[in-house]
Amino acid sequence: MTALIHYSVWGALIIHIGMVLICVWRVWRGENIIDRLIGLDVTTTLTLAILVLIAILEENSLFIDVSLGLATLSAIASVALAKYVADQRMF
Amino acid sequence: MYSVSQIIGLLCLVLGTVFSMLGILGLLRLPDVYARLHATGKVSGLGAVFLLAAAIFLTPLSAGKGLVLIGLLLLTTPAVSHAIASAAYRIGIPIKAGQRDELRKRLPKIKPHE
Repeated sequence: MTALIHYSVWGALIIHIGMVLICVWRVWRGENIIDRLIGLDVTTTLTLAILVLIAILEENSLFIDVSLGLATLSAIASVALAKYVADQRMF
Repeated sequence: MYSVSQIIGLLCLVLGTVFSMLGILGLLRLPDVYARLHATGKVSGLGAVFLLAAAIFLTPLSAGKGLVLIGLLLLTTPAVSHAIASAAYRIGIPIKAGQRDELRKRLPKIKPHE
């Protein structure tokens, strides 16, 4: 992998880690419950993006399988939490 | 010295990162919950998808998995954003940034109890 791509992937990784920290701060400070839910949703999406960046760095496509599992879990969890917030019961 | 796939991968990488940054900027700056939901939908709907496109071009043997994951993300992201928005509306979060509220006329029984 050429040096330019290597450094740009590293830069993107650092930017994504910074964004995850911003989202965690957003969850901590969230004015109402929905802001926290949004923060959690974006945090999991950004960890998925970080996993994909690691897959590019390591030249190993195993991480994309892991991020597939994470994507499905985060989608189902977000919808379940939204339903719990709306109706005060899960099922 | 750069192959075509590396160039395309680099472009997709930069585009995905830019979309994620814009989404996070929207998450911080937008005044209203519903506007923030609109912005954060772009982070996973566009940012992660372009990163996956970059991974398809830059990582060997990952084309099939990447396409499956791109399809999954494109399907689930709108659904999740819509679920969160309807939850926000049902518990009565006021719309600050909106012009008018069409749903109020059609769902009179939902009373904001906050």
